[in-house]
Amino acid sequence: MDLIANLATGFSVALTPANLAFCFLGVLIGTLVGVLPGIAPITTIAILLPFTFTLPPASAMIMLSGIFYGAQYGGSTTAILVNLPGESSSIVTCLDGHQMAKQGRAGPALAIAAIASFFAGTIATIIIAVASVPLSVLALKFTAAEYFSLMVLGLTGSIALAHGSAVKAVAMVLLGLLLGLVGIDVNTGLPRMTLGIGELGDGIGFVAIAIGLFGISELMVALSRPQDRTLLSVALSQLWPSRKELKDCVPAMLRGTAIGSILGVLPGGGAALSSFASYAVEKKTSATPERFGRGAIEGVAGPEAANNAGAQTSFIPLLTLGIPGNAIMALMVGALMIQGIQPGPQVMTAQPQLFWGVIASMWLGNLMLVILNLPLVGLWVSLLRVPYRILFPAIALFCCIGTYSISNSQLDIGLMLLFALVGVFFVKVGAEPAPFILGFILGPLMEENFRRAMNLSRGDPMVFVERPISAALLVLTALLLAVLILPAVRAKREEVFQE
Amino acid sequence: MTRVNTADLAFGLFLMAVAAVALYLIADLPMGSTSRMGPGYVPRALAVMIALIGAFIAGRALVAAGEAFPDIAWRPILLVGAAVGLFGLLLPRLGLAATAFIVVLVAGSASKDMRWKELVTIAALLSAFAVLLFVKALGLPMPVWPVN
Repeated sequence: MDLIANLATGFSVALTPANLAFCFLGVLIGTLVGVLPGIAPITTIAILLPFTFTLPPASAMIMLSGIFYGAQYGGSTTAILVNLPGESSSIVTCLDGHQMAKQGRAGPALAIAAIASFFAGTIATIIIAVASVPLSVLALKFTAAEYFSLMVLGLTGSIALAHGSAVKAVAMVLLGLLLGLVGIDVNTGLPRMTLGIGELGDGIGFVAIAIGLFGISELMVALSRPQDRTLLSVALSQLWPSRKELKDCVPAMLRGTAIGSILGVLPGGGAALSSFASYAVEKKTSATPERFGRGAIEGVAGPEAANNAGAQTSFIPLLTLGIPGNAIMALMVGALMIQGIQPGPQVMTAQPQLFWGVIASMWLGNLMLVILNLPLVGLWVSLLRVPYRILFPAIALFCCIGTYSISNSQLDIGLMLLFALVGVFFVKVGAEPAPFILGFILGPLMEENFRRAMNLSRGDPMVFVERPISAALLVLTALLLAVLILPAVRAKREEVFQE
Repeated sequence: MTRVNTADLAFGLFLMAVAAVALYLIADLPMGSTSRMGPGYVPRALAVMIALIGAFIAGRALVAAGEAFPDIAWRPILLVGAAVGLFGLLLPRLGLAATAFIVVLVAGSASKDMRWKELVTIAALLSAFAVLLFVKALGLPMPVWPVN
């Protein structure tokens, strides 16, 4: 079995003491930022990205991905105990999880959240391992036309799933694509939109943009909101759910895992969407829907399984095709490129240690998270007592040091400041930065593949619909757009994001 | 009372402005043909699309129900912004120890429930922590003390 051999390779990498330590560090930091509202995993990954430069590629990816799925665990803890979603993906966990806590069943709610997450994480790890080989074989057949169409589909997906106005999301994608093109044109060596600044020849620093938009800008906005937290003092007398509760949760966990695994792979998808969809499904299929919102344990198990599965399977397009499906995966591309690795289907064969090591580490990380979360839950909750006024100056300082350390450049700090201010403007006008950062990452790739495809077809745009895989991808894009425009779906979409 | 959707109008105008600047900057780059695209082809196409969408959003805002621009809390924006700017300006001259201290002080004063004594303590601790972690442990090449 290739699969077993591959996983064995993976575990031999992930189980080295150094990588175990980085995995632990990743999930620890992830849990921490998941617990603390106001620091999103995307911010944390952006801040830590520059420091992974000195690590071996596998260790860097193991740690960064640990932060991402670790945050899914941490986010549910605060959602249940404090009714504060630490992350957007735990918003629905608040609904029933916090009700359970109020009824004195905080322990079972936390336990089921951890169990569901671990279960989903295990299945998702297997799915990634099984699906990635055929997918990257398929991807090796891709020519420029297929890559271009795939990226069009990915960007359309990010538009469909952006909060708020779809037109604004389109504008943000296009802005990102345009800014991604700043720098020396690879085909002709001519500088484009560099304002004559030599440093911009390599393009606008990705880390400066990401930390500006997601780190500093978020601080500026968060500080204008009132910072009050009321802690519910819950007794964690009984931790384990009853046998009946566990049994009730199994179907919800299975459905949640399935929903999360599918939605995670979709371009633009990921953890948050998966948990919303799973909650809706559980409520619809339940024999007693009136219990939902009043402490139904399935309402915790389903979404928690879904968000963890979705978080993990969103690695599939990145690992196999080299195309990031959401903004966090775009940061992962950034992390790989810092290491000098061009993400794509060749990574699996050229860097099997990296590829399978990261996958195996996901399962180990999930195991660590269960151990880290259940017994230590009291510790995490006490962290919430750290006031934001102490936390945020530290975040600001780390953002600065992180950005500066990329190339010891004052220009990068200036760009970070500029994009922080632009980011505040985006928030105020209701334009989401996630499609922007995805466009920014894909801009140069998309242009290159577009130009190459058009060159090979001697300027005939029909090449994109004549090649079957490319055509199929474009049909999917068209379907997605059609669905977006349908009035019924539009109303539904707004309704979902309203909640 | 405003008669237009101010936020949308602002975003539309912003998009048109960005597109205009981009078109100006790439005015001299060759377009090429569809089979051999020059460096100006794709950026120009993107800028035109951005301008069109900007015009659409701005136009729609003019006929939409009036909505004022959301309130902006200037204090955190100015103080956190100043802290970031100071970091960039001061680090190469003053070194990390002093710069981190100043940056934390300035950024920290953005919070309404800031307490001076507490803030000075945090600034000192974070400055020491940053030097130990980033320069001593992680070995980032940045000066710790003022450079002459």
